[in-house]
Amino acid sequence: MKDLSYTDINQKVMSGMAPPGRVYLFFLASCFLGIVYGALCWAYQISTGMGVEGIKHPMVWGTYLINFVFWVGIAHSGTLISAILFLFRASWRTPIARSAEAMTVFAVATAGLFPFIHLGRVWIVYWILPYPNQRNLWPNFQSPLVFDVIAISTYLLVSALFWYTGLIPDLAVIRDNTRGIKHRVYKFFSLGWLGSHNQWRHHGAAYLFFAALATPLVISVHSVVSWDFALSIVPGWHSTIFAPYFVAGAIHSGLAMVITLLIPLRRIYRFENLITTRILENLAKTIILTSLIVSYSYGIEYFMAWYSGNMAERDTFIWRAIGNYAPQFWIMIICNSIVPLGFCFKKLRTNLVSLFIICLLVNLGMWFERYVIILSSIAHEFDPYSWGSVYRPTWVELGIMLGSFSLFFFFFLLFVKFLPAVSITEVKETLKTPARTP
Amino acid sequence: MIDNDRLIGIFAYRDCLQAALKVLREKGVDIQAVYSPVPLHEVEETLSAKPSSVRYFTLTGALLGIVAGIFLSVYTSLQWKFIVGGKPIVSYVPMVIVAFEFCILLAIVFNLLGMLINSRLPRFSIPTHYDTRFTGDRFGILVQCAESERETVAAILKKSGAEEVRHAT
Repeated sequence: MKDLSYTDINQKVMSGMAPPGRVYLFFLASCFLGIVYGALCWAYQISTGMGVEGIKHPMVWGTYLINFVFWVGIAHSGTLISAILFLFRASWRTPIARSAEAMTVFAVATAGLFPFIHLGRVWIVYWILPYPNQRNLWPNFQSPLVFDVIAISTYLLVSALFWYTGLIPDLAVIRDNTRGIKHRVYKFFSLGWLGSHNQWRHHGAAYLFFAALATPLVISVHSVVSWDFALSIVPGWHSTIFAPYFVAGAIHSGLAMVITLLIPLRRIYRFENLITTRILENLAKTIILTSLIVSYSYGIEYFMAWYSGNMAERDTFIWRAIGNYAPQFWIMIICNSIVPLGFCFKKLRTNLVSLFIICLLVNLGMWFERYVIILSSIAHEFDPYSWGSVYRPTWVELGIMLGSFSLFFFFFLLFVKFLPAVSITEVKETLKTPARTP
Repeated sequence: MIDNDRLIGIFAYRDCLQAALKVLREKGVDIQAVYSPVPLHEVEETLSAKPSSVRYFTLTGALLGIVAGIFLSVYTSLQWKFIVGGKPIVSYVPMVIVAFEFCILLAIVFNLLGMLINSRLPRFSIPTHYDTRFTGDRFGILVQCAESERETVAAILKKSGAEEVRHAT
């Protein structure tokens, strides 16, 4: 990458925005069909009633909540890469920061749909807003669910603004290299950016504050999501370790998703000399760390269940490993704790095929982690009536889940075609500025 | 009355730009803008630019956010006196979370506004002196000088290594 000039960077990144080929259109159309199918399933649920779901008492939280937590988790590594690693001045994150940020925005937007879907009568969603009303009801600001609404909305807005602020100078690059309608559109969205020293000064300061504020925010968001569970008294949920455990798990799954997206991206757009194997290797090394934290949390949960002497807690955890949810539990352990350790071997973390497969398995494992936490806990509550309940998602829930994955990939495909997938300015900053005397 | 004139010098190299800026500063020429494809910290130092005032906007937003979060929690608790888990109606501990989220939210919104206001954005017309190569691989200095000094300033820019010096409208 060091051999590239500023013009090379402009051309390289903009080449990804060339008119799409058939393969791209095929994937885009497939994602669109997935979204349509998901939307039809949701429409069917609204017209028929909530009974079309597999969510029934006592299993009142199913794939909607699993997917909600999964997508919020996916978002976290984007902020880790764009904000936390920016503060640590880890320059290797530069070429992937933009895609990771985009992933954050799309994942939070996708996650945000699930509470709406779960609400049922979504058209009266405004009832949960704090405004004077004839019912004299107000949101309970002591409830973790209300914390969640505030945290997720803040996270969505902050991630989107952070992403856009970083994009402004790059949009100006595209504006200056296009003509006609394209030029006018990018001119509008680049807000008339000129790249003057004053603009750079204020942009740099604002970007630093964005990173500094997004860092505590991202930690708070998944902590708040974990309190949706931990603030209840359900055995398996009521635990003080939940906040750091959820944050580490979120970054674990998010990093795996970043690699899952980057490997095809660099191949299709020939970004091999921008998104180098070294970057992917660094991400893989971070996955080893998050995997160890997650495994430690799994172990500590069992230790606390035993050492606390709480019988309900102990029984829940024994049942989790050998009961109705044992297959999902062991998938979780294998995919999140054992498989990522393969990255300890240089060969596995530098080989794109093994990287891709391990990351897919981590994604699968993290989805099942939420499955196990949510379902195996409510299926073994204090009330013996709930013991051993099995939740099976219906075709409606699976259709909506397919729709959510399609929506995420649809947004990502549009992003790589209409916006610079690699931050032009930040990559240029890592190069030596052109000078007459070297 | 002195007629003011504006000139723009276009440079291919950072060190030439830097040399030109130094001489122009020494001669007391009014440097209106320095354009570059990337932020150049040495330019800020040469022009002795003050730290950006965006931070005051961010701080104002953060403080307003804390107040807004606490106000909303207290006000709604008092409007609907709902006892949760035997805790006081106005419980301070959960308010910290609401105040924290609102603090970040408003700090970010004010941060962005601060950046836009200070950078004079959005602007929907691009000045005619602007060169599209400034987002590519060229640097530019926009200066204002009296009509009588035009030749001298142009000579400084050229001598420092400007590829092109032209009248800026």
